[in-house]
Amino acid sequence: MLRPLLSWVLASAMAPTLAGIPLQGGEDRTARATAQIVTSILEYTRWPTPTNPVQLCVVGPALHAGGLTGLVLSDGRPIQRIPLPAGGPLTIQNCDALYIGRLSQDQARRWTAATRGAAVLTIAEDDPECRSEAMFCLLFQPGSLSFRLSIDAVARSRVRVDPRVLRLAREP
Amino acid sequence: MTGAPPSPQPTLRHLLGQVHRKLILFAVIVAGITMLVSGFLVIHGYAARNLVLIAQTVSYTIEPAIVFGDREAIRSGIASVVGADAVASVEVLDADGRRLATWTRPVSDGMASRLEQAASRLIWPTPVTRDIARNGETIAQVRVRGSAGGIAGYLLSGAIVSLLCLTFTIVVTNLLARRLQDGVLAPLTRIGEVAHAVRTERAFGRRVPVSGLAEIDKLVQDFNSLLEELQGWHTGITRENQELVRQALQDPLTGLGNRAAFEQRLQLVISESVANDTGFAILYLDANRFKAINDVHGHDAGDSILRAIAGRLRLAVRQQDSAFRLGGDEFSVILAPCPSRGHTAAVVSRITEAIEPPMALPDGSTIAMTLSIGLAFYPEDGTDPLDLVRRADKSMYQEKFRRREFGHDESPC
Repeated sequence: MLRPLLSWVLASAMAPTLAGIPLQGGEDRTARATAQIVTSILEYTRWPTPTNPVQLCVVGPALHAGGLTGLVLSDGRPIQRIPLPAGGPLTIQNCDALYIGRLSQDQARRWTAATRGAAVLTIAEDDPECRSEAMFCLLFQPGSLSFRLSIDAVARSRVRVDPRVLRLAREP
Repeated sequence: MTGAPPSPQPTLRHLLGQVHRKLILFAVIVAGITMLVSGFLVIHGYAARNLVLIAQTVSYTIEPAIVFGDREAIRSGIASVVGADAVASVEVLDADGRRLATWTRPVSDGMASRLEQAASRLIWPTPVTRDIARNGETIAQVRVRGSAGGIAGYLLSGAIVSLLCLTFTIVVTNLLARRLQDGVLAPLTRIGEVAHAVRTERAFGRRVPVSGLAEIDKLVQDFNSLLEELQGWHTGITRENQELVRQALQDPLTGLGNRAAFEQRLQLVISESVANDTGFAILYLDANRFKAINDVHGHDAGDSILRAIAGRLRLAVRQQDSAFRLGGDEFSVILAPCPSRGHTAAVVSRITEAIEPPMALPDGSTIAMTLSIGLAFYPEDGTDPLDLVRRADKSMYQEKFRRREFGHDESPC
């Protein structure tokens, strides 16, 4: 009884230093890590209707979205990047996923509100507190990249995310 | 009977006890080993399936973490699945064989722990491996090594239970075996006791009591009938022997002891005198003119005279003296022990007086008889029986000669 607990405590104690995807090097590396985490989230996401290709809309100025082009999921479906203007109309009809760049809180909320009721996965790049009601919020920390989760947004959304992925989220 | 053997002879009780103990030991050990081996196989099977299950669960749990490349999530995922003491270590390798995460059960540094690790390697020589595949592509491999903890615990408790069972069984069966041994041995011992008593004490009257066991009672019955037959034979032989002895030592005509009895008695009295340092006397007596009576009145008359002399002699001597008829008209008396010659003289005169009254013959007439009496004293006249006899005989003939010479009737005592 004690031993598993001990190992769990040990593992928990080491968490802050090793959590998430390690980030070393420059912007290139961060972009690659971002691409991996986005791809992985998409990997474990199920839409109500099959999506092929997966249309990934990127809205607003994104710092780390450089690697989000030419990605392919493990089952062979390509990820198609579709840029959307931040100030333009909230046209999300063609989007399976929405990557929200560096927008203000209000702007980001407008976009997330637009996805309500639609089968669109939302990822916010610049919302470490995860208040924009995006489902996933990337968490850039010195040395590592992880994400947070808005459990309400995930619950409301029509897309289904594998619960095992939810466990990987950092606690707020 | 023979000298004591170097090692004590095994007893039936010992043999029975030994056989019982061996039987119990064998049975319990066989049962214990069977239980342990079958238990080990069953538990090993379950543990193997459990390991596969754990590997599957670990794979399923950590798959997203591998896709995300989150090593910490891999580790915590493993730790959340692997519990209890069934697993020794879990290793996760990526598709290129690089180690992504390792989880090892914390171990103490004790001897028991090292033993357990050795046992683990013995029971689980190879790890359970499972590939983690994503859409048909292997992205990682999980290797789970089992721990001997659970199985060793089972084996240990099994061995202890077997040992307790063994002890309990030995105690109980020993008690039962003792009852059996008593049931078999007690009647046998009784037979042996009776046989021994019969042999050493000639106790032919003893019988073995029935035991209640069919086989043994058959033996007891036969044994008792044999004893009965033996007792019959023994009684018959004893009676015949006594009769033979009596016949061998008794003169049939007069009922007095014969010459053989006289010689025996003389020898006995001499040894007694040697032992007690006392003396005694023997008398030799011969009827005077007996041949003439035989010739004139016939042998019937002679025999009745001899019977009469014997009867009077028997009455004249003291109880501790003994009279014999040595043959013909020769008699002898052993006076034992005689304190003085005067005393002996008294006995001689009593005999002479007893013989004096006339004796009746078968034809109705009477005749007076006299005896010539010779004397010899132990140890003055000799210490050897032959010397004594010769001396008494000589003394008697001197007396007889004097009677013929002087016609008087005087005893020398």
